[in-house]
Amino acid sequence: MTENIYLPRMATIQSMRPETIDITTFRVTIDGSDETERFEYKSGQFAEVSVPGVGEAPISISSSPARPGAIEFSIRRVGELTNALHELKPGDKIGIRGPFGNFFPLEEMEGRNLLIIGGGIGLAPLRSVILNVFDNRAKYGKIDIIYGARSPQDLVFTSEYEEWRKVDNTRLCLTVDRGDEKWQGNVGLVPTFLKELHPSPENTTSITCGPPIMIKFVIEALNEMGFPSEHIVTTLERRMKCGVGKCGRCNIGSKYVCLDGPVFTLKQLKEIPSD
Amino acid sequence: MKTSSKEVQDSVKKLFEDGRISHFIGYEAGSDSLRVTPCFLKSGQTVSRLVWNPLCANNLAKYLLDLRKVEGKVGILVKGCDSRSVVELLKENQIERDRVFIVGVPCSGIVDGEKLLAVLGISPGDVVAVEDGGDAFLVTTREGKRRVRKEQVLRGECLVCRYPTPVIYDVLLGEAIPSLPWVRDDYSLVRELEELSAEEKARYWNRELSQCIRCYACRNVCPVCNCPECIFDKKAPRWLSKANDISENLVYHLIRAFHVAGKCVDCGECERACPMGIPLRRLNKKVEKDLLELFGYTAGIDVEQQPPLTKYQVGDLDEFL
Amino acid sequence: MVNQKKSKVIEKGRLTELLDKLTQGYHLIAPVQAKDVSFRRVESGSEVTLDYINSVLSPKNAFFSQTETLFRFFRDDNRGFQIEPCVEADREQVIFGIRPCDARSLRLMDMVFNGQYRDSYYLDKREKTTLIGLACFEPDETCFCPTFGIDPASGEDVDILFSDIGDRYLVEASTEKGAALLDKFAGFFVEPRGDEEQLRKARKAGLARMKKLDVSAIADKMAPLYGGDYWDSIGLKCLGCGICTYLCPTCHCFDIGDVNLDEGGGRFRCWDSCMFPEFTLMASGENPRPNRKTRIQQRFFHKLKYFYDRNGELACVGCGRCIRYCPVNIDISQIIEEVASGKAGND
Ligand SMILES: Cc1cc2nc3c(=O)[nH]c(=O)nc-3n(C[C@H](O)[C@H](O)[C@H](O)COP(=O)(O)OP(=O)(O)OC[C@H]3O[C@@H](n4cnc5c(N)ncnc54)[C@H](O)[C@@H]3O)c2cc1C
Ligand code: SF4
Ligand code: SF4
Ligand code: SF4
Ligand code: SF4
Ligand code: SF4
Ligand code: FES
Repeated sequence: MTENIYLPRMATIQSMRPETIDITTFRVTIDGSDETERFEYKSGQFAEVSVPGVGEAPISISSSPARPGAIEFSIRRVGELTNALHELKPGDKIGIRGPFGNFFPLEEMEGRNLLIIGGGIGLAPLRSVILNVFDNRAKYGKIDIIYGARSPQDLVFTSEYEEWRKVDNTRLCLTVDRGDEKWQGNVGLVPTFLKELHPSPENTTSITCGPPIMIKFVIEALNEMGFPSEHIVTTLERRMKCGVGKCGRCNIGSKYVCLDGPVFTLKQLKEIPSD
Repeated sequence: MKTSSKEVQDSVKKLFEDGRISHFIGYEAGSDSLRVTPCFLKSGQTVSRLVWNPLCANNLAKYLLDLRKVEGKVGILVKGCDSRSVVELLKENQIERDRVFIVGVPCSGIVDGEKLLAVLGISPGDVVAVEDGGDAFLVTTREGKRRVRKEQVLRGECLVCRYPTPVIYDVLLGEAIPSLPWVRDDYSLVRELEELSAEEKARYWNRELSQCIRCYACRNVCPVCNCPECIFDKKAPRWLSKANDISENLVYHLIRAFHVAGKCVDCGECERACPMGIPLRRLNKKVEKDLLELFGYTAGIDVEQQPPLTKYQVGDLDEFL
Repeated sequence: MVNQKKSKVIEKGRLTELLDKLTQGYHLIAPVQAKDVSFRRVESGSEVTLDYINSVLSPKNAFFSQTETLFRFFRDDNRGFQIEPCVEADREQVIFGIRPCDARSLRLMDMVFNGQYRDSYYLDKREKTTLIGLACFEPDETCFCPTFGIDPASGEDVDILFSDIGDRYLVEASTEKGAALLDKFAGFFVEPRGDEEQLRKARKAGLARMKKLDVSAIADKMAPLYGGDYWDSIGLKCLGCGICTYLCPTCHCFDIGDVNLDEGGGRFRCWDSCMFPEFTLMASGENPRPNRKTRIQQRFFHKLKYFYDRNGELACVGCGRCIRYCPVNIDISQIIEEVASGKAGND
């Protein structure tokens, strides 16, 4: 008998760190000795996370494979399953299938500058990249992180920013759609902020993840700034069930987002229909 | 069927020319000679596509809902039963009377293709055309013309149809047909079931409904099933599991039957659409009969008359409350 | 290919008895007459009908059932769960009477359920199944399998082919699995009399009239139609029901759902369809296929282009079910013709 692709492995929630009012980062370990270490994944991949009796959903892995010991998911409560997850407590069990999907081509990016652009919960898979490249800092050039959310309260991973800023040759630029009395940073949409910062396309790969509308305008801005389409890397989101190219619902043209994605270069996207 | 395709075409052409409609919903020849298919026109130039013959089973009223937002008036071809669906849509304010132009055709029965093939002992490819010939259908086959008595091959709903002439129209093509000679007992199908014991009934419906594959064709084809978000599609709260088993199927069919109660006009579309041959009309007819006996109510006759199950009156019985 | 030596004959009178015998060692799935003919598990040969062109429901149900439990779970004291997989293929099964089109569809399904990720629920049943095909000599008007290179009288995708040649069936094994089954029931089969080929040839005469459409470059011809108004009136006409996809032997889409009870529950999968609006609806409320036009476009693009792009085959075998049962007569063979001939252009 080969491995059953629909059976989740049991995992234990080690801790839950609230990021915003509706987003929590779950730190989990897979039950059984060594199982967590044997869960080999790459930045950009996702897992099907489940609560037996409620359901299952694709969630990006937000931890870095370079930091073994636990796997992290940062999850926003929006529906049935994500609500149920937020009701759990450390020590509770969840199911994990995966890792699935492709990943950010970090190896191909070695020696290049990275421009990481995130919006809202879209920073989750990018955090995996950020931590990963920090741990291999020497392999990459300049790292610019541009991140935005609706309000200062909606920014995720805020407790880590100080640490990120300390890393060599690294910039973290934050923006919010609407500020408040305490907010000192930029106010404005991510694509506009990006244009103001005007990073150079030279020897630079841009990686972006966020709401579809943000991605659309970020890509337009990057095009304007002269980034070639093979160096614009983005992620796509589709409703998913199986995560392994069987259930048929996540296709865009001939590509299954779960199998051939969720990471695509703009060059690849230009070849598939725009639905 | 006295009205000819030509009469329909001419009348629709004139409606377009006179600027009275911007769209028309009718029938055109289907992909084989036992089928017709809905046809949507946007100008008078293509009216020659339109047909009217004893294969025109589809109740086109459902499409009025899809064309609510178009510019201009939407013309539609209706048989007696279809016109009663239009009445129901008007009652529910789903459509506005002055945004539709109703072309009525008196109908003397639609043929049931499967019955026809069985009675004639031929296969679909042998049929060339089916025409109305008064009390019989005239079937042109590859081997020549055959006459088949209508009663043998009519669709179930046509066998008990009391309203062959549209009850509402802007123009009527052809002479009104007051009644159909073969219609006698409307409810023989229901009575047969009513005589069974509770266990026998349960067995009957369990057997039938266990065949259902929940493709929802019966719901989607029905003009009075028109909720923007159907309760069966709602995720929270979830009323019905997608798993296909007899208990979920029973729930689906009970809810469906009650949601169309008092609105169903027995156009027979649900049963015709069902790929699994489930006798949905029997369920609908039972509810229809009860409403008739308890409230003297018949759906789809008068736009002003509200269905008894959605109307509250001070004098209503309330022992069950 | 068919080994002449393996050709046998069974007298029609002995078929029921053979089927009875098969039910003893196997799960026998065969055509049964209800309202229409469907493939079902039978307990005896007498339940089986041979009077059908093809079944309403395709035999895909025997491998990919409409509802299938993937696993059950039980809560334990430790806030955890015990998970118990359910793989139903506990016994060898035989499908008797599968038509050549449906047999081909399984080859297409294999491409989906096999690969980098193996779907053991489907594949285990597939491995444990012997397919006994029944050659078609009297196709339906809506059959157009020759379009996809299927010979309705051949046993290319089955283990054993039965051909009705009057008073007997010609029986040919085309795989080892088939030959083994014939050996096991050797007592039922006799040597051919010699006139079988000739009888078969005579019966095949009618097949020449079958619809055979040109699909040679159909995937390329579909590409420019994406998003075009060709799909407007088709989308308007379509009711968005599940008939065409649920009945289609090559449609493989499914949903996954959970059942929750006090002591545990389970996870199941069930057929789903790209014709339903919720199929692609995301939690955000965004729906990449928001209307019937985009959904019916997906159906035809998947069959005639996307599946081909991925697997090198078209995802249709010409069984005609979607044509026979569509309540509004949306006819894939007509659409193929229009696309192939260029009539489907965007105006
Ligand atoms: C590759 C990928 C990575 C993702 N990563 C994250 C992440 O890191 N953090 C996060 O908060 N969210 C992420 N999402 C979105 C997340 O999957 C949905 O918010 C989630 O499925 C909603 O499930 P629900 O049961 O709470 O909602 P419901 O509305 O009840 O949805 C029911 C089911 O539909 C499916 N579904 C609904 N919406 C989506 C969707 N947007 N994407 C995919 N499947 C959907 C799921 O199977 C879900 O269980 C990701 C989505 C994808 C495709
Ligand atoms: S059309 Fe028939 S099979 Fe489909 S849901 Fe209705 S009763 Fe069930
Ligand atoms: S069967 Fe016909 S009406 Fe139903 S979804 Fe398919 S094409 Fe549309
Ligand atoms: S698309 Fe239609 S004709 Fe083709 S295999 Fe599916 S059901 Fe049969
Ligand atoms: S996407 Fe649609 S057409 Fe393709 S297999 Fe799934 S249900 Fe069938
Ligand atoms: S499509 Fe071909 S193989 Fe299938 S039933 Fe028809 S003739 Fe037979
Ligand atoms: S999620 Fe099932 S095919 Fe992609």
